[in-house]
Amino acid sequence: MRAARLVLFAAAMVAVGLAAPHIGEYPQRVLLVMGIEIIMVVSMALSNGFTGVFSLSHVGFIGLGAYASAILTLPVTAKHAYLRDLPGFLGHVSLGFLPATLIAGALCVVVAFLVGLPLMRLSGHYVTVATLGLLVIVNVVLVNADAFTRGSRTFTGVLPYTDIWWVLGWLAVTWLVCSRVAYSPFGRAMRVSREDLVTAEAVGIDVLPTRMTAFVISAFFCGVAGALYAHYLTSFSPHAFYFPLMIQLLVMLVIGGMASLTGASVGVVVVTILSEVLRNLERGFQLGALHVPPLYGASQVTLGVIFILIMVFRPQGLLGDRELVLVPRSRRSRAAGMPREETEVQA
Amino acid sequence: MNVIDYVFQQLVNAVSLGSLYALIAVGLSLVFGILNLINFAHGDMMMVGAFAALLLESAGVPFPLALLGGVVFGGAAGFVMERAAFRPVRGAPDVTMLLTSLGVTYILENLGILLFSASPRNFPLPVWLGHVYKLAGGRITFTNINLLTLVFSVLAFLFLYWFVTRTGVGLGMRATAEDLVAARLVGVRVNLVVVVAFVLASAFAGLAGLLWAAQVGVAYPLMGFTPMLKSFVAAIIGGFGTIEGALLGGYVLGALEIAIVAFLPPSVSPYRDALVFALLIVLLLFRPGGIINVRREVKL
Amino acid sequence: MKFIRPLVVAAATLLLASAAMAQQPIKIGGAFNLTGALSSLDVPAANGAKLAVKEINAAGGVMGRPLELVVYDGKTDPATITNIAAQMINGDHVVAITGFTDSDSALALGPIAQRNKVPFVTAGATSPLLPSQIGNYMFLEPFGDNVQAAVGAEYAMKNFGGSAYLLYDKATEYTNLLAGYFKDAFTHAGGKVLLEDSYKSGDTSYTAQITKLKALSTQPDFLYISAMPDDIGTIVKQVRQAGIDLPIIGGDGYDTPLLVQVAGPASDNVYYTTHALMTMDSTPAVQKFMQAYKAEYGKDPENAFAALGYDAVHLIAHAIEQAGSTDPTKIRDALQATKDLPGVTGAISYTNGKRVPQKQVTVIGVKNQQLYLAAQLAPSYIPTP
Repeated sequence: MRAARLVLFAAAMVAVGLAAPHIGEYPQRVLLVMGIEIIMVVSMALSNGFTGVFSLSHVGFIGLGAYASAILTLPVTAKHAYLRDLPGFLGHVSLGFLPATLIAGALCVVVAFLVGLPLMRLSGHYVTVATLGLLVIVNVVLVNADAFTRGSRTFTGVLPYTDIWWVLGWLAVTWLVCSRVAYSPFGRAMRVSREDLVTAEAVGIDVLPTRMTAFVISAFFCGVAGALYAHYLTSFSPHAFYFPLMIQLLVMLVIGGMASLTGASVGVVVVTILSEVLRNLERGFQLGALHVPPLYGASQVTLGVIFILIMVFRPQGLLGDRELVLVPRSRRSRAAGMPREETEVQA
Repeated sequence: MNVIDYVFQQLVNAVSLGSLYALIAVGLSLVFGILNLINFAHGDMMMVGAFAALLLESAGVPFPLALLGGVVFGGAAGFVMERAAFRPVRGAPDVTMLLTSLGVTYILENLGILLFSASPRNFPLPVWLGHVYKLAGGRITFTNINLLTLVFSVLAFLFLYWFVTRTGVGLGMRATAEDLVAARLVGVRVNLVVVVAFVLASAFAGLAGLLWAAQVGVAYPLMGFTPMLKSFVAAIIGGFGTIEGALLGGYVLGALEIAIVAFLPPSVSPYRDALVFALLIVLLLFRPGGIINVRREVKL
Repeated sequence: MKFIRPLVVAAATLLLASAAMAQQPIKIGGAFNLTGALSSLDVPAANGAKLAVKEINAAGGVMGRPLELVVYDGKTDPATITNIAAQMINGDHVVAITGFTDSDSALALGPIAQRNKVPFVTAGATSPLLPSQIGNYMFLEPFGDNVQAAVGAEYAMKNFGGSAYLLYDKATEYTNLLAGYFKDAFTHAGGKVLLEDSYKSGDTSYTAQITKLKALSTQPDFLYISAMPDDIGTIVKQVRQAGIDLPIIGGDGYDTPLLVQVAGPASDNVYYTTHALMTMDSTPAVQKFMQAYKAEYGKDPENAFAALGYDAVHLIAHAIEQAGSTDPTKIRDALQATKDLPGVTGAISYTNGKRVPQKQVTVIGVKNQQLYLAAQLAPSYIPTP
């Protein structure tokens, strides 16, 4: 059964990939960004939702991945033109997209490991605040490390490698890896430590490695997503990887459901479609004889209100901690941790 | 200018900045102490206070009344925020409340941009406020605004001290901060305490907002975000959840920020914010209770 | 005889069709950050652009057809900007695009316009690197930062002296670039920068930096402060409050009513380079624009970016007329050939195949809280971008 599901899934993705170039440039762009953001939010779900450690530093890793991969793929002539002060071999080397993405991800892994060792011992508010501090630090470093990043000046001329196949490919990898980790005995340990730290330690679960693993894996995929994003935008500056993006991703994570991988994906889709619809509506429209004038900014306020309503009436998000189709029922019930709400509704 | 003058001038700067951080930090600590809620929307109360004062002044209201108006509107906004957004999620896991506050700040900031546009607006000041005092033959300067900031901050803290030690509601606040359930069991009206805490915190933030706008000369909808983050660090430095901690932390952070720019070489000063947050992380690791070493139960 | 009727019908249909086609508007994309952090500059530019379209249509349109500005909000978000680029080009089929007053946004949209061969004329982004970074469909309507910084340096050297103090915000592209170009031009002219320091936008107090300046053993002849509109009023006020009366000079970031409003009397002896003097005792073109803007929007233009947005649309309309066609490539060529086209912000020409215009720089001074024209120059040395 499992194999059949996987094949179906792969076929669906191939179908999306083949259909994409024919749906028009604007919808294709929306689809691409959606795919990249799903990678970001799914890795956030793994780290925030499953371990209960609410970290706000993911956007920092996305930024690191973006800059690292862009610096690596930049053609040597461009490097001489405006990254003159790049140290050592970096200035003379230009890599392909895959190696650059992998190296960017690896860089994020290293940083996450170093930073996670002290930080993942903290709990609750402290780790949230500490990871927020990490985001600020990354931003300040990106702005000031002129020689590498051009500082606050726009980093431009990045080769537009990102297309639907790269996004779909990495998306599949992300889903596979994250779901394997989340629904393994290891993942069960994560979820136990999320629900009750003392109990977890009492039954012999070593909490730090579980948190570190989730944090590091999440950082890797955030780095990858950053690389994809960088090669999609082709121009960016450190400000693109700061609080506005963080809030946007959090909204998607929360609306979909933090403790569910498919929930995170659903959240991205729902929020993206909603934002685009609202954004086009706020330009003003005709409703029969009624002409509604443009009201720029209304879409953001509306999204915020919806977010608050979800927090009040359904804080676990649309999917809670259930998963859709992808994770087979039998596997799920075997690996089920304690659900976040009293009533568990069968999918 | 000799070293002593230089240091003294920087001290003056630090006290002025520290007062602002302390005012904002107190509100953050007050709410956290009672509800375990980190309110990201606290910074937007600054915007409310500053804009209320600004609009009142433009309508011809004399400055002292406009100032009062700013504080009152700040408090009122806190009240609305509590009832509309935080009361419904009371008792939810901490993460939910934190996310709610993020949602509130998202709404408020975009609403602010919608209503007032993101452009900064001039914050008009009566001329006497701009009067400059010169000491040591002009080598040390400060203005009436700096003086006013200090005076108002001190008054605000004295008021708060009186309130939490001498009034019923204030005592109830301290009880609730220690243990919400126990406080309710002994008859403290927790709902009222929470509302009062929010109103006070937001009023203080409103005051800080208009004082900040007075110092800078402009007000704009996004003005509160960075000060809120910094004051957050300040509150943690001092000891998160306590008023004394917020006060102490505010002045320490003000001094630290000024010191980094004033005494370190120009190549280092752009990293100021990174250094401050690195200090935060170090503190959280080795002395999470801050300077006064607050002991709190670590909750997941 | 039999086919006269169908002939007449055919002819009539053709005539009607071409009349209908003639009424079909020519669409230009208007990409502006109407919300988000950069809206204080983009909103006036958008207003200016809309005003220009209205005036052009009142005068008969372009090639007899009405002009339509399709406005989209970029939300100061790069992903949204790439979306609106696609919407404008593939959905609305615009023949040209105008908009944005900052490089980040221009660079998010530019490559897409370039790939689709649609000319993009930025209303207010002043980085001279843009055309080379994006391609031959990218045009700047305003002069480049290297030009205005050079003018600032030359004017200061001539009027104030050969030693300077340089202060800038490291975290913004514009302020960074401007400071760099100033240093280049000033040292090239033999000047010396005594102290270079940076600040963080949004701080309440710049007194730490100011105190360092005061502590210098020899004071400089003037201060070059590269700042954004949000900060300049505060900085100037605090500098003067600290007792420093030296001349202060900077770039078009000073072009905001906030300078005089916030700094008050402290704004005396402040100078800046910009696109036009937007007061009622400026050139006739400026006066006419100000009156039209006030009539349309009920307030004075907030800053020169309103005039820049206005001029950019006129530039495009003129190019369409010159090209005699709505083919974007022909419009691009006509844009490149623009010579001495009068505008509110000065006459514009693209010479030597460059897409950063040859324009005079206006130097404005402040005296008794009034703006006056201090000089109008082109620099003798232009730092390479």
